[in-house]
Amino acid sequence: MKSYSSLAGRYLKQQRRKSILTVIGIILSVALISALGTMGQAMKDNMLSEAIYENGSYHFAYKEPTPDLYTKIKDHVLVERVGILREGVHTELPSGNQIQVDELDANAIQLLPIHLDKGRFPQSSNELVAEAWLLNQLPEKPQLGGFAELFSADGKKQRYEVVGIVKNQKYSQLEGKAHAFTMLTGDESAINARSTLFLTLKPGVDISIQIQPFSTLHTPFDTNRPVLNYLGESSDSNLNRALAIIFGTLIGLVVLSTVAVIYNSFNIAVLERIRQFGLLRTLGATPRQIRHLVFREASTLAVIGIPIGLLLGWGGLWLTLWLMTSSGFQILQMEDFHLTFHWWIIGGSMATALLAVYLAAWLPARKASGVSPVDAVRGAGSIVRESYRKNRFPSLLKLIGIEGSMASKNIRRNRAKFRITTFSIIVSITLFIVFHFFTQEAFKLTVNTNENDRIAFEVRQTVYSGDEANPNKTNDIVSPKTVKEIADMPGVYGVYGQYQWPNTQALVRHDDVDQSFLQKTELALDDVNWNGEGKKVVYSNLTLYDDARLKEAAKYLISGTADPDKLAAEDGVLIVQTVKPLVDGGRKREQMELTRYKVGDKLILMMGVTENPTKENVREVTVAGILNQSPFNAPYSEHSLTVMAVKPTFAKLLEAVAPEQDGIDYGTSLIGIEVALKDGADPEPIRQKLEDIANTVQAGRFIDYVSEQQKARNFALQMQIFVYGFLSVIGLIGSLNIINTVQTNLLLRRREIGLLQSVGMTMSQIRKMASAEGVWFGVIGSFWGLLLGAGISYFLHMQLSNVQGLPFAFPWGGALIACGIALAVGLLSVQGPLRRMAKANLIEELREEA
Amino acid sequence: MNVISVDGLSRSYGKGSTLVQALKGVSFSIRQGEFVAVVGASGSGKSTLLHMLGGLDKPTGGHVHIDGEDLYGLKEKERAVFRRRKIGFIFQSYNLIPVLNVEENIQLPLLLDHRQPDKTYINDLIHTLGLDQRRKHLPSELSGGQQQRVAIGRALAYRPAIVLADEPTGNLDSANGREVLELLKLAVRQYHQTVIVISHDMNVAAEADRVLRLQDGLLISDTYGGKGE
Repeated sequence: MKSYSSLAGRYLKQQRRKSILTVIGIILSVALISALGTMGQAMKDNMLSEAIYENGSYHFAYKEPTPDLYTKIKDHVLVERVGILREGVHTELPSGNQIQVDELDANAIQLLPIHLDKGRFPQSSNELVAEAWLLNQLPEKPQLGGFAELFSADGKKQRYEVVGIVKNQKYSQLEGKAHAFTMLTGDESAINARSTLFLTLKPGVDISIQIQPFSTLHTPFDTNRPVLNYLGESSDSNLNRALAIIFGTLIGLVVLSTVAVIYNSFNIAVLERIRQFGLLRTLGATPRQIRHLVFREASTLAVIGIPIGLLLGWGGLWLTLWLMTSSGFQILQMEDFHLTFHWWIIGGSMATALLAVYLAAWLPARKASGVSPVDAVRGAGSIVRESYRKNRFPSLLKLIGIEGSMASKNIRRNRAKFRITTFSIIVSITLFIVFHFFTQEAFKLTVNTNENDRIAFEVRQTVYSGDEANPNKTNDIVSPKTVKEIADMPGVYGVYGQYQWPNTQALVRHDDVDQSFLQKTELALDDVNWNGEGKKVVYSNLTLYDDARLKEAAKYLISGTADPDKLAAEDGVLIVQTVKPLVDGGRKREQMELTRYKVGDKLILMMGVTENPTKENVREVTVAGILNQSPFNAPYSEHSLTVMAVKPTFAKLLEAVAPEQDGIDYGTSLIGIEVALKDGADPEPIRQKLEDIANTVQAGRFIDYVSEQQKARNFALQMQIFVYGFLSVIGLIGSLNIINTVQTNLLLRRREIGLLQSVGMTMSQIRKMASAEGVWFGVIGSFWGLLLGAGISYFLHMQLSNVQGLPFAFPWGGALIACGIALAVGLLSVQGPLRRMAKANLIEELREEA
Repeated sequence: MNVISVDGLSRSYGKGSTLVQALKGVSFSIRQGEFVAVVGASGSGKSTLLHMLGGLDKPTGGHVHIDGEDLYGLKEKERAVFRRRKIGFIFQSYNLIPVLNVEENIQLPLLLDHRQPDKTYINDLIHTLGLDQRRKHLPSELSGGQQQRVAIGRALAYRPAIVLADEPTGNLDSANGREVLELLKLAVRQYHQTVIVISHDMNVAAEADRVLRLQDGLLISDTYGGKGE
């Protein structure tokens, strides 16, 4: 032995079990902190890439620019790059769709969200790139290298060579409008009212500060808001602040629990050896030397734990992502996901962990160095003076007899120990509840889950308003037999019908409109008089739900029924009265209730385009079921009441629509179908079948978004994997903390328990007593942890509300799991030490010096 | 030459109705190379006196000078260093560091001072204590007598000014107890150490050069070789 400080290593080795537990605590915490940091940063990086993918990478844009403006910004010292786009004239296609050839310069190709699938970008004004689905609709049906004749930007017909194919976009397909792009020639001369200039600022320029001066150069001026948001350069800093506060709080909690874990094990390790520290003091060790010893132990554990933790955090994340990508997942909906390595995260995690370790070791070190040498040498026995506090209230534990009342006394005998133990249990429970709450909320914010996720294909028929050739009712696009055939195909999850949507407004009693909806949205609803009573007019979306849709709708019921027969029998409808309007002057969306209908209430519907209710256009139905969100399409509408009716009811309601009022003769015929796939199904045969069907239908269109659908489902699954991964680690840290605390609490009293045995307490009585202590700590910890967890969850909720408003739901799920785990771990962790005590020699225990 | 001089030393614990006066103004001095026994009934203030002499506790009145240094004029840290260099302790319950072996336990006071131990002296000490075969053993592998011998070795390792022993034979059988006493006497002879032993054991008092008798916190007699001074 070279120096007294080697004692630290000896102690660690001697208390190998405890040292290992502490190191595991450090490893898990470091892993969690670094994984949290990496994941948070990766999410931000990915959201940015996603925003750039969807919106382009430009920062600012000017519409209707002048050549002067172009010269000015091109020569601007802060501007990196300027691109020009000139919108073309649209060409009508035989299918009814439209195509528009826009002109772009080389910079604009870089700055705008145009993604090449095959071929190359155009290099001259007679080359173009277009979406694949559109090429098939051109009269020439050109492929890559083929030719098409379309209107150019100056309105003349021009022959273009197709040199590239860009990726299909869902919205262009749905709208039936698409853009093709050709090369813009002649810079300044091309700038006119149909042009837009896009620009990026040089790296390092503070974009948010430049918004104001750049906006004064020319109007209309626009910013690429989603991209600037994720760059942290938005003029509206709410999002970034909210994210910083949220991640700060979460990391703060993890640090707190790390401190608790390490503090606990150090504190106990020090308490166990306090006599030895006292002894060292009598031998002439200075308090500083004793502190040094404890800190050296801490450093040793940190040096072992931190690198492994970093490796585990980063490696674990990397491995998870690697496993996902190699099994065919696309991570976070990205084409190409790289786990970005940031030194600041590694450094930050290390610094945070070191801080936590030293913070945790500081108090025990002080305690060790402050131990009085006199106390240490004054014979055997615990030198920690304990002051028993009388209970102000009779403890519930007394109900279980002498063991319980001993347990209750034991719990309260030492204020400091009681505080430490409950503190660490509270921290563990709080941590779990808050993480559970946060991850669920984050999941709700990032993943929209309803039945739409499964829909991969659509076949629909264009129904033209006022189409003279088709004045009468449209026919079913396919027969029920075909629907059944599709539904029976392997891999098909469901086939849902699409029907017409007549204009519908609900006449709602004033009391039934939610007042806070009116206040927050500042929406002025029209007032009408119906049957001598004033009503508010609320826009409604009335849709026909067939049996397949109703089956899914049943999953979303809050109250009532979605049984088709019952609905038909009582003219019942399903409603969704939860909406997500823009509030705060359009700054964010908030989820809230629009109306306050209950099952059994009468719903008055005014059918068709009209402002005045009459006997002819008003019908009454019954609210038979209330859903928490729409099973299909957007989960929440902005400010309309969503009403779903079965065919007979729907037909009755249609009778109230004035015939051919808006040029459409409404009916209940099937105008389209949506096909949902099972996870992992092979889409190819289904695609083939549906394409064939679409070709046989007049004005039929086949829409394929299978790849987008699969991405969305994968994303939801990945989020769940991450959420539960994080939660398991948190649960592990919390449990470790509780085990550490409760066990050492007991082990420190070995001698005393020996004493109790010697006066005739049986091992089973001791077990009962110790178990009661373990459980009671769990109960007390759960109580405060629940309060604190709910409080911090509410705080996080408020922060999240700055991004998007959701109603606060008390985190019962997390709370119940956390309290259950705490009680179980509390109970189980006393069993090991008790078993060891039962085996030990009573005399030895009694002799042993504390 | 006086190694220790104690002047009007008093120590009280608690206050008001719970006030206990453990020492009530004790004065004496001890010359180098003396083997002194402090005897008295339980609660007479023996241990308190020992703690005061060792600089472990602070007196409520009076002074203790060791090697000319006012022990309680020193700061906490200085007193710790002083203790390390000038005072050796031997306890009834041995109080060895369980994770260190015999040799390391003996060297510990030197290591705390960042000093390299004098190998010859330490070897000589270990040999004298009869621990040659036990050098690498942990305290848990030793008998009570052996443990106490290690404690003596540790107390002598730094060649302190005084060795304070608190009931060193209290936990030992008579043979081992005699052996320990012999070793302490040897220390006085061979290394010219000053040894102060606290004990109930009248055998210890009989072996001592000088006996200080305490009762109710007062020094009631001070005898040299069985004769009063």
